[in-house]
Amino acid sequence: MKVQGNVVLPAGREQVWDLLTNPAKLAKLLPGCEKLEPDGPDRYKVAIKFALAAFSGKYSGSVELSEKLPPESLRMVLEGKGMPGFMRGEGRIQLADKKGKTELRYEGEAQVGGMIAAVGQRMIDVAARRIIQQFFDSAAAQLRSS
Amino acid sequence: MATATKFIGKPLKRKEDPRLIQGIAHYVDDLVLAGMLHAGFVRSPHAHAVVKSIDSTKAQSAPGVVGVFTAEDFRGQIGIVPCAAQLPDLKGAPRPVLATGRVRFVGEAVAVVVASDRYALRDAMDLVEVDYEPLTPVVDPEKAISKNAPVLHEPSADNVSFRWELEGGDVKRAFKQADKVIRQRILNQRLVPMAMEPRGVLAEYKRGEKTLTVWSSTQIPHLLKTQLAAMLGTPEHSVRVITPEVGGGFGSKLNVYPEEAIVAHLAMRLGHPVKWMESRRENFVCTIHGRDQIADVEAAVSKDGTLLGTKWRIIADLGAYYQLLTPLVPTLTGLMLAGSYKVPAIKIEIIGALTNKMATDAYRGAGRPEATYYVERLMDLIAAELKMDPAEIRRKNFPLPKEFPYTTPTGVAYDSANYQRSLDIALKKSGYAKLRKEQAALRKQGRYLGIGVSTYVEICAMGPSSAMPAGGWESATVRVEPTGKVTILTGASPHGQGQETSFAQMGAEVLGLTPDDVNVVHGDTGAVPYGIGTFGSRGTAVGGTAAYMSLVKLRDKLAKIVGHLTGEDPKNFVFGGGSISSKSSANKSISLGEAIGAAYTAKTLPQGMEPGLEATTFFEPTNFTFPFGAHVCVVEIDAETGGVRLLKYVAVDDCGNVLNPLLVEGQVHGGIVQSVGQAMFEEAVYDEHGQLITGELMDYAIPRADAMPWMETHRTVTPSPVNPLGVKGVGEAGTIGATPAIINAVVDALAPFGVRHVDMPVKRERIWKLMRRKAAPKRAPRAAAKAKPKKKSKSAARRRTSRRAR
Repeated sequence: MKVQGNVVLPAGREQVWDLLTNPAKLAKLLPGCEKLEPDGPDRYKVAIKFALAAFSGKYSGSVELSEKLPPESLRMVLEGKGMPGFMRGEGRIQLADKKGKTELRYEGEAQVGGMIAAVGQRMIDVAARRIIQQFFDSAAAQLRSS
Repeated sequence: MATATKFIGKPLKRKEDPRLIQGIAHYVDDLVLAGMLHAGFVRSPHAHAVVKSIDSTKAQSAPGVVGVFTAEDFRGQIGIVPCAAQLPDLKGAPRPVLATGRVRFVGEAVAVVVASDRYALRDAMDLVEVDYEPLTPVVDPEKAISKNAPVLHEPSADNVSFRWELEGGDVKRAFKQADKVIRQRILNQRLVPMAMEPRGVLAEYKRGEKTLTVWSSTQIPHLLKTQLAAMLGTPEHSVRVITPEVGGGFGSKLNVYPEEAIVAHLAMRLGHPVKWMESRRENFVCTIHGRDQIADVEAAVSKDGTLLGTKWRIIADLGAYYQLLTPLVPTLTGLMLAGSYKVPAIKIEIIGALTNKMATDAYRGAGRPEATYYVERLMDLIAAELKMDPAEIRRKNFPLPKEFPYTTPTGVAYDSANYQRSLDIALKKSGYAKLRKEQAALRKQGRYLGIGVSTYVEICAMGPSSAMPAGGWESATVRVEPTGKVTILTGASPHGQGQETSFAQMGAEVLGLTPDDVNVVHGDTGAVPYGIGTFGSRGTAVGGTAAYMSLVKLRDKLAKIVGHLTGEDPKNFVFGGGSISSKSSANKSISLGEAIGAAYTAKTLPQGMEPGLEATTFFEPTNFTFPFGAHVCVVEIDAETGGVRLLKYVAVDDCGNVLNPLLVEGQVHGGIVQSVGQAMFEEAVYDEHGQLITGELMDYAIPRADAMPWMETHRTVTPSPVNPLGVKGVGEAGTIGATPAIINAVVDALAPFGVRHVDMPVKRERIWKLMRRKAAPKRAPRAAAKAKPKKKSKSAARRRTSRRAR
């Protein structure tokens, strides 16, 4: 499944960049993230708990950042697995100035497997969009409050 | 003076139903044993992956957990999942009970957790951490058998499980002589059998007695017992398999599954009874699937519609491993590709493809619905091409009644039939001629009625042994108890077929009792003689015959006893109303009870006669049986939505003699409903990653009552010559005859749109698109001046359609 879109965040590029690459801040952006701890350079172990229909359950996995070009672009790979199955998202994030704010564009691919794929097929698009939406809503909220 | 009471052929209500309807029947999940533990399986979310590691430490220490086991723990202790198929050059695809190092389909078990209750079990299963390294999945069966596809089972060089070829008659000549050659690719989608009760198994090992009892929701208790003994290395005489009530099988429980062996092993290993119940979600991914073939056919025909020859290439998607009969099912398709027609020449190539999916295996009809669907679609394609009536082209190619037994070029000898008669009745009862007129009138109003005909023949009553992997006979013991009650122990294992009723009718008639005097016992290897099981529409034709023969043995024995007591000729007795009466003299008659008493007290028996009243028969049929019939389906398609509505269904089936017409009708109804499922709703879809994306009943649609029209059923009776009852079998007829009737009706409705074929299931979206490929035909007649060029463009459109339909 392909995911792409853009969002305008209420801060400059440096601030947005810091938000995405600072583990303590990133942890707050990931919906349901219960734990995020370093696991090598630009790599973090995560524990996520979702309560979303067929996707509900605990997942353990990793977030990996690569191809970092501060404060312009980076690649993010998110992997999680748990009893309901596995999910994997991989995408590129690009930042551009927009009148003192930052336009963030993302483009990538998401894959799910196991029970999530079997019973959650109808909801995958919606669920992915909702998770992404939550991510950016939290990002905007954090930027506004800082 | 008593006369024999007829029970055979009477529409008696099922003896089984009161307990089922009241919810007081016992299924595996209803059974609770003291100290019983619960097992649950951790399954792969990947279609193809290396299992790098399994960490069960957290799960092991979770509350209530008794143990977590992986393949390593079972090494050398549980054998591989058995496959009974023997085909030349069949490639190995051995399935260990738990994945060893590599998983090959989503849902393959990698670990089993045992806990004290289901809640603790479910929580602990979350804690088993499995690390996978995904491999490229092989999903498309055509790509799977290509050279560059990743190989599922090394050291095999490719994913071709087998190539099965069959040729009869002069195919080359047929195609040389042909006026027309008709080609089509026809798909037969993957289905989930969807028994209402999922699988389940409970096992108990008594350490003192060293006996293992396994309760399983299975169609084959005896074969399961033998296979479990072999898989577990346990002496077979200490294994007992019991099938409590079975909530539907349809072939999905004609198998030996890893869970059965593992649960039995764990019961022995842990010294506690262990139970596993399959969830509906598991049932989708790890109970066998059905169908899944791609057929390419070419037919050589002469202008007048005479079939000269057919060529077939069929790719069967077998999934990742072989279950009990996986590779055999497509070969049954091959054997039946002549259909109910005289085809002088046939050439068949069937290729089994291994893919990263659940195994396919026998699903109601097992290979024959596929064959019938292809052949019946083909007949309609030929009729459309030659502008002949679909009923006419069929009639033209039927063998005549006097030509039976009729041997096809595939080497199958059809026992007895009158195909013309069933077609005539189906046409008459459905009002075929009138329907055609109505169709023409409605088309002018922009309404699209479709009339579909299917004339099928199937192969069933699975026997004889020479053609079966594990014996084609069936057994029965009949015991007349000293009080005059009768017990029939059948080796077949009915699970919805109603044989507790129909066998009781037989017992009552043969011995002159009532059906309430006769009890039918089945599904307990500790009680009934070794048997083969219930599948392939064999329960009555083979199992029933064994019971009948045992009943006759006892009737003859009783007659001899009474003859000895009264001096009457034993051939001169009538059994009925609880007495054994002489046809000639009233004072040479005695009550049945007196005769039975004589057999048991054994004081006045004829010289050399054994006491008691028990007889066992192992019946071996001389051939399969070949039920047949004609179905007519009428649909209307909504031009706005593409929705297909079934308006009328007329089925004329011939299953030979009938023990209980209610049971036969029930079987036909159920079969037609499952055909409606395949034709209109059901489809098990794997995505390109090998994920089953139709894994619940929200996405995998099955037919509901509102989809069904009134089903009109009729019968003709052509007794089978291969068993003394003259019965043929009817368990699968519905799924064999109905699917093509429905699709033929749909294609017929779409004819004005230049459609010549549509693949199943005929969902609205698919039909709607087909109706928009070509502008809807005008309702009012157009000027005749442009008739010629218009005709040309119509045939061009038809060619386009046919290409796209591929």
